[in-house]
Order: sequence, then C-alpha cells, then structure tokens
Amino acid sequence: MKNINYFKKPVSNTFTKVLAIILMTAVWSCDYEYELPEAGSKQDLTPPSANFSATETDDYLTWTFGNQSNSATDYSWDFGDGNTSTDVDGKNTYSGEGKYTITLTASDKLNVKSTFSIEIEVIEPEIPAAINPEILNGDFDGGQDDWKFSDFTGGTTSPFNSSSDGSNFNYDGTDNGSKTPGAKWTNGTSSGIYRSSSSRYAYQAIVVSPNRDYILEYEYAIKNDNDENGGAKIVGEILDGHFGDGADGVASSDAGPIVRNEGTKLEGKGNFTVVRQAFTANATGLVSIFIWGETKQDAYVDNVKVYPAE
Amino acid sequence: MRKIKFLALLVLGGLVASCESDFLEPVPSSGITADSYYNDEQELLTGIIGMYDALQGVNDNNLRNNHAIQYEYYLTEMRSDNTRTKSQEGEAAQFEFYTVQATNGIVADYYASFYNVIFRANIILANLDVVSNADTKKAYEGEAKFIRAYAYFNLVRLFGDIPKIDRIIQPLETDIQFTRVATSEIYDFIISDLQTAVSGLDNTYKTRASKAAAQAMLAKVYLTTGGNYAEAQLLCEDIMGQGFELLDNFNDVFYNERNNEIIFAIGYESALASDSQNFSAEWMNGVGRTSGVNYVTNDVITALEASGGDRTQYSYRVDPSQTTQNQVTKYLPNGEDGGDDGKTFVNDATLAGNDWIVLRYADVLLMHVEAIMAGAAETSVASARASFQEVQDRAFPDTAPNTKAIITKDELLLERRVELAFENHRFFDLVRFGKAEQILGDFSAANGLNFTSSALLLPIPQGEINLGKGLMGQNPNY
Repeated sequence: MKNINYFKKPVSNTFTKVLAIILMTAVWSCDYEYELPEAGSKQDLTPPSANFSATETDDYLTWTFGNQSNSATDYSWDFGDGNTSTDVDGKNTYSGEGKYTITLTASDKLNVKSTFSIEIEVIEPEIPAAINPEILNGDFDGGQDDWKFSDFTGGTTSPFNSSSDGSNFNYDGTDNGSKTPGAKWTNGTSSGIYRSSSSRYAYQAIVVSPNRDYILEYEYAIKNDNDENGGAKIVGEILDGHFGDGADGVASSDAGPIVRNEGTKLEGKGNFTVVRQAFTANATGLVSIFIWGETKQDAYVDNVKVYPAE
Repeated sequence: MRKIKFLALLVLGGLVASCESDFLEPVPSSGITADSYYNDEQELLTGIIGMYDALQGVNDNNLRNNHAIQYEYYLTEMRSDNTRTKSQEGEAAQFEFYTVQATNGIVADYYASFYNVIFRANIILANLDVVSNADTKKAYEGEAKFIRAYAYFNLVRLFGDIPKIDRIIQPLETDIQFTRVATSEIYDFIISDLQTAVSGLDNTYKTRASKAAAQAMLAKVYLTTGGNYAEAQLLCEDIMGQGFELLDNFNDVFYNERNNEIIFAIGYESALASDSQNFSAEWMNGVGRTSGVNYVTNDVITALEASGGDRTQYSYRVDPSQTTQNQVTKYLPNGEDGGDDGKTFVNDATLAGNDWIVLRYADVLLMHVEAIMAGAAETSVASARASFQEVQDRAFPDTAPNTKAIITKDELLLERRVELAFENHRFFDLVRFGKAEQILGDFSAANGLNFTSSALLLPIPQGEINLGKGLMGQNPNY
C-alpha cells in the first residue's frame, strides 16, 4: 500500500498541474474571444425587427405576405399550415377554410432574430346577391307602356291590346277581389295559331346578373269558346340581348331564345294559369322578355315578373 | 451728485430706447426680403403663383434644381407595369427593376420638390391676414390648402410615414423636419385641408386650384383610405353636375388644352425656359437628356390592344427611329410628331408647353364607379354602370351603348389602366385596389425584375436620413 501511495502522489501532482495549465489556457482563450473586442467595433444598434402585412388574392385560399422587416437579411416563414419558405415575401395557398397563424422570423448576419405573427382567417367570400331586375309596368296598369320596341322593320311596335280582363291577383300576389288590367291578344293581333308579320310582341329589355339562375313568371288565360281554339298558345321567351328593332328581336327568337315556354291550357277567359319558367342568364346579363299570343280567340297575360331563383 | 445720477439715468434710458431692432437691423428699402414682402393682396398673389411655379419644377438638367412634376413619371409610371427606360440602365432604371437605392437622386429631387411646394403653401397661409376682402382670403386659403394637400397626398402614397410640416419652420426645428408622422395622421391633415379648399374655391381656373379639383382630390383620398366610400360617391356626383364632359375625340383631351374634360392641370408655356417642361422630350428617342425614358412595356400594349378601343391609337406608337421600341404619344412635344424619324421637331422639344393633366373627368367617372363598388368585388348599381358606360362609349363608339350588367373590380382596374395610361395613375391604382403585390409580383417574375412588397414604398432619401442624425428611420428593406 505504501508503495502504491508513493507512486500515486507525483502522478496526481503532475496531473493537477497539467489540468491547471489546460484550464488556464481554455479560460484565457475564451477571454480572448469574448472580452477583448477588435479595436473600433461597436454595439449592434440596429437589430432586426420583423413585420409583414397579409393580403388575400383573387383566389381566397391564396394569400400574399408583404415583408416589412427592418435591418434583416434572412427570413423564415411559417405559414401555419405546415408550409414554410425562406423567400423575402411570403405566398401560400391554404387547403381550406380556417384560422392560421403566420410567423415570420427575421434575422441578420449576427444571427440576431426577431419574430412577428399575424393570425388570418381564410374564409370563402359570399357570392353577391343576384340583381333583382325591376320590370316596368309588369301588371299592365299602364296599358302598353314600356312593352314596345322602339322600331319594328316589317312589323308593328304596338305590343298588344290593353284590357281590363286581367288576373284577379295584384302584382304583389294579393287577391284584388275582382279583375285587374292585363294584356290581350286577339285573332287580329295574333292572326291565328301561327306567327306572322301581323303578330304583336310584348318586349322589355332587362339587366340581370350574368350566368345566374332566374325565374320568368306570368299568368295567362286563353278563351276556347265552342272548342274552336284548339292549339292556341301564349309563348313567353327570354331573348339573348337587347334589341332596338323588333325585326332583330324576332330573328333572335327564331335563332333560339335563352328559354321558351308555350302555355297551351285553354281554361277560358278569367281562368288564369301561372307559368314559372326557370332560365340561366347569358354571360352579359343583358336579356329581354318577349311574349306573344298565337290564338283565334282572345288570350290574356298579366303580372309578368323576373326574379332570381333561390 | 444727485444731478449726475439723474443725467446718467437719462442717458441710459435714451440708449435703451434707441436699441429697437429696426434701428440695428433696418429693413432694406432697395430690395425685397421675405420679412418685408407680402404686405397686400397683390403681393400675396405672387406667392400663390409661386406655389404653381414649384409644382412646375425647373426645366433644366441641373441636379441641384427641383424638377417636381416633371420627374413624377419616374416614381410612378416607370415603377408600374406600364413603362420603363429604353436603355434599361443607370439611376433611372432602378425604378423599373425595383432596385431603387436610398441614394437615388430622382427620388431625392421629388421629395425636396414637394416639400418645397409645401413650404410655399405654408408661406401663403402665414400671410393671409394682409388680404382684406373676406372672399378673396377664403379663396387664397383654399388654394394654398389644396396645393399643400396635393403635395402631401403624393408624398404619403410614395413614402409612407413622412414629416408633417404644417407651418413655416426655422432651421433649428429639426425635430419637426425629421420626425416621421404616421400615414393616418397625414391623411387626416390632407382631408382637413381639402375640406377647407372645397368650401373656399369655385371653378374659375383649370391650371389653378378649383372646387371641382378639391372635390375630386378628396374623393380619391377617401377611396385610398377606404373609410368613406359614401362621401366619395357624393363628391363625384357633385362634380358630375358641374358641366364637365368627356371630349368626343380622345386625342383632343391632350392637345386641346384646358378643355372641358380637364379639372386640374399643371400649366406650361412652350419656348419659355422659365415656364416650359422637358418630360415630353425625355419620352422621345434621344431628344432630351436621356436616350429615352417612359418607354411603353409590352404588358400595357397587350392591354391597350385588347381593351383600349379608340384610345389605343392615341396612347402609344412604334418609335420611328427604333422600331422594336414603343413611345407614349399622349404628350408629344408641343403636339409635334417629330417627323419621319420621330425626333425632328420644328420648335425646341425640350421647351415644351404641354400641360400636365392631374385630374380629368374620365377619372372622376371611374372613381364614381369605384366609390359605389365600395371595396366589393363587383357592382351592378345602375348609376355606376352608367358612369362606366360613358367612358366606354367614347372608346367603343361602334358598339355603343356598351351596356354591362355587372362591373367587376378587375374590369374597373383594367378600364382605368387603358383610359389613364401614362398619366401617372397606374401605380397608385394598383396599390389602392390592393392588387399591387399580385400584379407587380407576376409582372416582375415574367420579366426578370426584382419586385418585393417593400418596393411599394420608396426609400426616404439618404440625405434626409443623414441630416436627421438618427431621428429618421428608413423604410423596410432599404
């Protein structure tokens, strides 16, 4: 044991000395690096400050983030949905609606960092309400007003006969208790169960929301005295466009309207049938209502409406 | 002894009494100084004219002079997707590449120019008391406030937070000179000035402030801040009832000066070095100091060809001397086309007299649509459609009436682009519509430019930052 102790001591001393030198060196070199700055160096007075703005693009799922950080050189974006980027400006497309927190970490070359976060809500914008077009003189209280073509090459601008034998319903759907004014086609103004140059047409240009769904609604009644009016009808159309000349309107009707409804119920005078014809507006939203009768006996139309389908 | 005391007091009193400032600092009787001028209405009127002189800028190439509105296209149109330099190099090309440096001399020129305009407006406001007639006083106040608001509106949109100088300041008031004030406070200041201008002015002038000009400017401020669309709509509708109209021929708008479509323009006179402009020459091929700036991009040509109608032919042309390039033709020097090579002018093109149009009626009609749209994606309101149609019917007379059921935000932005191309609207329109990052980002990517969102604000000139000694911070990423 003594021998062992004898040998142990010097070893221990040497070891301690070496350790001390290493330690001192280590401490000394640390000091050199951190406590003896180069001559002329100065404190970083302009640390990075992160900041950005968020903007929704035309596609509500895609957002752009405008970098407004100061004194930074490197950027790291976390878009809150797992996507990241190191570009200066951020841009991200989210997979769906929800709230997301976007974090920007801005750093400079001294590796000083600054972070800034914004929470955004990705939400699908509501589709704007469709235009509810105003139909002028839709109840025919004003006779022929607002239902005429301004010109009619080879035809007549007079649209129909004014009549006091319209529907019992008012325009707002309430029961009037007795008949209201309406529009009337006769043998003379329709010239029989076909269309001819003597045919009269009710025409009104309206503006609706492009490519949206609408309903054309009106009431009609056709006489059938002695069963001699078989095949008579009231035709309601929505034409593609506005027309200054009736001839152009008829040509468009022949070429194909947006929608056509043929009412063939012969229920007799005063017994009105309601037509509700759905259609989808054209790409311009410029359409017109076009109604005529093909009949040998009197036929009536009242309460013409166009409104958005629900 | 008592006598001596009395005498000494008398002498002292005499000394004190004679030491008034005008004794030691007499006002010179043979020259004019700032302190001795502005004694009556006539002298103040010369100060009013001085404000417009500052807006005109100096027509020369001296870097020390302020060039004001003559340099505006660099900061606006050439920073949009509408125009660029022909050579694509030098300080001027920093704008189109979105690499503007804080040391850019054109930016510093514009900044200094418009603070000089503000200074001159503040002089008028400080000396209003010399006007005895109450109506004249109100008109002068309105005029100075309109000009001040116009200068601030341009500066705040270009630089963001800026110093608010609302009176004449002295050299030692550096805290006011170099403290940046939040944009919201600047906008409140602009709105207040314009409201005063609207109430004090009438429509006597087109190259000086007018009621309609103040209303249109105020409407644009409301559209920019987005807070008051209803008021903007009313202002536009008021202007629409004041007898302005669209000229039948689009070209006449630019070459039939002070016509019925113009609401406010900066007036210039040709051949006079003191009152002419040189931007018309700079836009030609090597006619001015540059080899050609504000040249037309292919991007805007595509838009003009598709949607410009009759306006396209009057908006740009192929450069006759360099057929791969395209020039703006809305401001040809003195209305001359430059002959076969497009650069041979009878009159000195660098002393051009074309007025610079700031506000015209087509702008108001389209602002009317914008106000009704009120930040939404589209509008179908009849009065908005009517205003939009009025602008379109002039451009597309063959298909008039050009009725549209719905006007979308994108359609309105496009219509403004082709109607008001090269009139320094495009950049501000993009920002106001919230489309700048998207559209300029795509444009930049397609053309190898360096757009980032921080390019939407210009740098505060480095000279100002240095003089501010730490008071002034720079905009992000400069």
